[in-house]
Amino acid sequence: MRILLQLALIIGISLIGEILHRYAGVPIPGNILGMLILLLLLCVKVVKLDHIKEVSDFFLKNIAFFFLPPSIGIMAAGEEVMCRWPVLLIMCIALTIVTMTATGWTVQLLAKGTKHKARGVKTEGAKNEQ
Amino acid sequence: MSNSPLFGILLSLIAFEIGVALHKKWRYSLVNPLLIANVLIIGFLCVTGTSYDTYKVGGDYISFFLGPVTVVLAVPLYKQLQNLLKYWFSILMGIFVGSLTSIFCVIGCSKILGLSNTLMLSILPKSITIPMGSVVSEQIGGIPSVTIIAITVTGITGAVTAPIVCRFFRIKNPVAQGVATGTASHALGTSRALEMGETQGAMSSLSIGIAGVFTAIVAPIILNVIA
Repeated sequence: MRILLQLALIIGISLIGEILHRYAGVPIPGNILGMLILLLLLCVKVVKLDHIKEVSDFFLKNIAFFFLPPSIGIMAAGEEVMCRWPVLLIMCIALTIVTMTATGWTVQLLAKGTKHKARGVKTEGAKNEQ
Repeated sequence: MSNSPLFGILLSLIAFEIGVALHKKWRYSLVNPLLIANVLIIGFLCVTGTSYDTYKVGGDYISFFLGPVTVVLAVPLYKQLQNLLKYWFSILMGIFVGSLTSIFCVIGCSKILGLSNTLMLSILPKSITIPMGSVVSEQIGGIPSVTIIAITVTGITGAVTAPIVCRFFRIKNPVAQGVATGTASHALGTSRALEMGETQGAMSSLSIGIAGVFTAIVAPIILNVIA
């Protein structure tokens, strides 16, 4: 599909997500609803990966760039952040390790009941699509 | 110059490209392009005495794309969906337990350490991917810019510590290692999980989207119940 058409499709889905969130009162943020809509369209094969390849590749490859401007907003974040950043930093680091351990243990414990080894797992499902 | 969006856009592009170049050179998780670009831009604005608002005129044009960028996250999730089938129960339970642990620990620690409500809400979605975390933060009343930095720090922590944490806490199952890394530290952690192995990488990248959607749905509910 042409790139502008791909962009139109993705922005159209974003818009539907926004409308569902704002006017239909679905309590999930609009862009996440949009993601779920696109996921559904991919699953029922209305949209194929090829249809949005160029635009999705571009966005996914450069995803961090789009968060640069909002993150600069930290300049205007106020006093409490400036004073308490060491606490915040330590919290983020420590809780990452706690979350990782809790998740890992849960999966490991529950997976023990399953006999199979995880050999069948594929790195890229896309291979099957093409 | 102060009213032109071109200034903010150009500054963002240059700063980010410098960050990417440095990351490529050192190949180390601590050298994160987003953090480097952050330091460069804030440094530049401070040194030249340019206000944040002047930068924001251009920055807003870039931020506009956050919506479509999040929608496109469906693509990696869709590619990984078939990997869910075999172990779906343990994977989903792991992500749920992990996400809940993250949410409750942030609430608990914030209360103990006496952080303000706004700050607590800002770091609540710190384990999920930035596009989702920043909107969740906005929705529950946090400051998105603080959330984005917290998410980046979390991601870097995950990327640096994942193999050590797995060894130390005896998480040996490759599926468990992947889900743990992805749930706790989103895409940045996944970059490290891919180095740990194929299974770990696939599982980690599957977990990003699921943990994000779960947190987006559950966080407001938990906050409502507590308040």
